[in-house]
Amino acid sequence: MLNVENVRKTFGAVTVLDGVNLTVKPGEVVSVLGSSGSGKSTLIRCINGLERLDGGRITVDGFDVSRPKELAEARKRSGTVFQLFNLYPHMTALRNITLAPIEVLKRPKAEAEAEGRALLASVGLEDRADAYPAQLSGGQRQRVGICRALAMKPSYLLLDEVTSALDPEMTAEVLNILAKLAGNGTTMVFVTHEIEFARQISDRIVFLEKGVLLVDLPTRDFFAQDGGLAQPRVAQFLSKMRKD
Amino acid sequence: MRFTQFTPYDLVLLAQGLGVTVGLFLLTSLIGLLAGTVLGVVRYYRVPGLTQAVTFVTELLKNSPVLVQLFLVFFGFPAFFHLNVGPVQAAVITLSANTAAFVYVIAVSAIESIGRDQVEAARVFGLSRWQVLRHVIAPQAAAFSIGPLTALLVNQLQVTSLISVIGVMDLAKIGATLNLRTLKPFIVWSVVGLLYYLAAKLVAGVGARIEHRLRAHSAFRGL
Repeated sequence: MLNVENVRKTFGAVTVLDGVNLTVKPGEVVSVLGSSGSGKSTLIRCINGLERLDGGRITVDGFDVSRPKELAEARKRSGTVFQLFNLYPHMTALRNITLAPIEVLKRPKAEAEAEGRALLASVGLEDRADAYPAQLSGGQRQRVGICRALAMKPSYLLLDEVTSALDPEMTAEVLNILAKLAGNGTTMVFVTHEIEFARQISDRIVFLEKGVLLVDLPTRDFFAQDGGLAQPRVAQFLSKMRKD
Repeated sequence: MRFTQFTPYDLVLLAQGLGVTVGLFLLTSLIGLLAGTVLGVVRYYRVPGLTQAVTFVTELLKNSPVLVQLFLVFFGFPAFFHLNVGPVQAAVITLSANTAAFVYVIAVSAIESIGRDQVEAARVFGLSRWQVLRHVIAPQAAAFSIGPLTALLVNQLQVTSLISVIGVMDLAKIGATLNLRTLKPFIVWSVVGLLYYLAAKLVAGVGARIEHRLRAHSAFRGL
């Protein structure tokens, strides 16, 4: 279980997360919607321990990310995919994927590489294992980014606007893979602007507004007139996004 | 035969001088590279107090003439610390420290040039600070710094000629000796200059080769 309890995060005078509560159970796909600056990415960065909390508590399978000793365990259980891929440019696609399994999980190199190749094959990149990130397209890079996160066999996949830097065709490449993962029962926290896609794959949708979690509903209810749409801010957001 | 004429033995002298220059250059470059890199890593770990001390000393070394540093070590250390410092020892100490100071600056800027995104990507997958340094930062920082390092070492090779002043029999000192004997400064200094030039070209060539290797991953091949 991934538990976010009453989390507060401020940057100077700006409160980015203001008492956020969120629970993600194994097997669930939870999409996080909200306009830019609402705190979606910060929420992900708090869960994977990249930001220090100013209040509240986050536990990943019981491990508190605010405690240095437990953070390592918490991080082993979550895998992050970044908006701008953040691949290591000096390593091949395969090495990008195998670095953490070999160094952190102490997996034998041959085993890690075999798994890495299998992951690459599962996203249609079996022939790009030895390519460097600079030789890959954006969509290919993000698929490697997803493989890198999956290689750690995380209990929770954290996806931070993973298609925002991609054109529609590449976005489709990546979303297809995510749909497959959701179908396999992979637990995901999916921060996104792809509302239609979120609607298809999510069990629940939460809506962040100025650091406050306004809505947390099952997907069907979120889009219902008497559910999420009853919130004026949500209705406004959805109609605006659909026009664009 | 008049004593002002060149003899075949002068070639041996030049070779010896070149050997001393290259040998001291290699030794002090190695020490300087190691020490400067270690200091850069000290800064990466933000050891309290140590970083400020390192910055202070390297600033002194960067902003004063090497000749002054050399005199301080060669004349000053024996007078103040009652240490017996020979010319070669003084040369090794001074040139190593000076190179280390500049390597430190290059190492620091190279480490800082690596994007935060890279460090964060490695940290969220559980790599320790040391593992991040070793696998993510160091290889990229090496590719970043090899250009400035090559330029630095080419310059440090020329700077070694200063040690002739305190009596080290390097290439410049041999040149001065031959010049005094033959009274043919144009020929002597042309040959000595050419030897420095060839040695510097060799350093630059090795640097370019390493740079090419370290940047193999980059699709960017220059403008």
